[in-house]
Amino acid sequence: MPFDGVPQGIINPPGQPAAGDGPEHAKAPGTLILVFVFLAAFVVYYFVNWKLLSFLWKVG
Amino acid sequence: MNGSFRTCPTTGLKVHAQADALIKANAVVATVALLIGGITAVLVLLTRWQAVHLLPADLFYRVLTVHGMNMLIFFILFFEMAVLYFASAVLLNSRVATPRLAWAAFGLMVLGTVMVEWTMFTGRADVLFTSYVPLRAHPAFYLGVILFAVGALIVTSIFFGTLVVAKREKTYEGSVPLVTFGAATAAIIAVITLAHGAAIYIPTFLWSIGVMHVDAQVYRLVWWGLGHSSQQINVAAMVSIWYLLGALTIGAVVVNEKVSRSAFVLYVLFISMASAHHLLVDPGMGSAWKVWNTSYAMYLAVLASMIHGFTVPAGMEVGQRLRGYAKGSFEWLRKAPWGDPGFSSLVFSVIIFGFLGGITGVTFGTEQINIIAHNTLRIPGHFHATVVGGTALAFMGVTYYVIPLIFRKQVAFFPLAKIQPYLFAGGMVVFSMAMTFVGTFGVPRRHWDITFQQAPFDVQFAPAVDLLLGIMALGGLIAALGGGIYILVTVWSVFLGKPMAEGRTA
Repeated sequence: MPFDGVPQGIINPPGQPAAGDGPEHAKAPGTLILVFVFLAAFVVYYFVNWKLLSFLWKVG
Repeated sequence: MNGSFRTCPTTGLKVHAQADALIKANAVVATVALLIGGITAVLVLLTRWQAVHLLPADLFYRVLTVHGMNMLIFFILFFEMAVLYFASAVLLNSRVATPRLAWAAFGLMVLGTVMVEWTMFTGRADVLFTSYVPLRAHPAFYLGVILFAVGALIVTSIFFGTLVVAKREKTYEGSVPLVTFGAATAAIIAVITLAHGAAIYIPTFLWSIGVMHVDAQVYRLVWWGLGHSSQQINVAAMVSIWYLLGALTIGAVVVNEKVSRSAFVLYVLFISMASAHHLLVDPGMGSAWKVWNTSYAMYLAVLASMIHGFTVPAGMEVGQRLRGYAKGSFEWLRKAPWGDPGFSSLVFSVIIFGFLGGITGVTFGTEQINIIAHNTLRIPGHFHATVVGGTALAFMGVTYYVIPLIFRKQVAFFPLAKIQPYLFAGGMVVFSMAMTFVGTFGVPRRHWDITFQQAPFDVQFAPAVDLLLGIMALGGLIAALGGGIYILVTVWSVFLGKPMAEGRTA
């Protein structure tokens, strides 16, 4: 069977982190940026939907 | 019948022979259901694409029923049964509690599936996935669903039994792993879900044979305790797989065990309320009931998803940074193994579930906004992002690890497997977004002909609708191609693939 393979996580499993390091002291600035992108997308979509509702269903 | 154990050379886990066989059996049936659901998906798509409009009305609703049942129930739940055996027996180095009963449950689920498939394919159950009363299907349809649900409930009980066995026999130390904890929450939600299924399908079965009356509004109320909650099992199982894939692919760490576990508990406590979204335009429920059940406490379940949506990528980032990928904000992401289909599936699953499925779902769950989205194509646009782009893609990603670790086979057509998540995710993004946009123009869901040719009134949609339906079809066909590659790769690997021992070592 041509083109057989095994995912990298099995052939070359991630090594152990450097000794003494632990996740409790680590920071995740990249993830924080992604979180704010998500928040912005959420705000925009939510607002647009209320705006659309106000166009379609006028009060008064 | 307890069988023996083998030791996985990659993970060091002791794998019980019965767990191994049960995972394989459930995964194979899940793939068959995915194949049926995928073929019918293309037929539905080519009919909803008004320019093609492939099927006549009766076949369209039949095929749509087959698509819904196979994708939302059979594929997903058989796969989740495999996940439960993996997360209990395999991850805890334990034997499966009551393997004979496990096989009986599997047989019951298969029997139920075959009965439902027979009624659907022979035109005896053109009632769609929701099978709303008073639409009446053949009694075998309801009986099949009941048998399937009972089988799934037994598997859930065996999962809890296996946790007890592992604890008593001290097969692990300390707390259960986070993945097992997440699977346990999925199992608890499954019990709630299947109880709703029994509570509504048993009376409906009796109604179908003329023994009793079932109120349409009561049916909708209780049925959605099954219909939506079954998708919450998916969410808990999918998040568990996110943590698993993160650890397997790049050595992601759990940033804070307590936070992640608390988020899973929030699912158990509050996610079932989400079922009420489906009744937001029903006249039988008051506004107070609707607002309470779709807001306030329900948002604690949304909070849980947002916590996982943070902790999963944060765990990946921290894991990468601890291994030296610490430059700038995104070196950890740039230098990640994007050619590993497990990793790419994980990332796309998180993004599609969160950005497309999550944001649209919470927005549509608002009572006032729901009034402009309900029963339009925006709703399937939302749930194709959650269930297909989120859950199914995560399941596909973990399959690329299940094949070598459980089936002991190399992944066939590996270059194709590498691009499969890109095709599937890219197609689903285009498909879901186009579907959501076209729904914004008021195009109804579950509708055979949106030109309403034989209607006594004239209904005109904006010209943009035709373009958006074409884009939706293009995205759907690309995703179907990705799904087809997944099935080719998995079936070939499992039945014709090279054993691991003959090829590269694991």
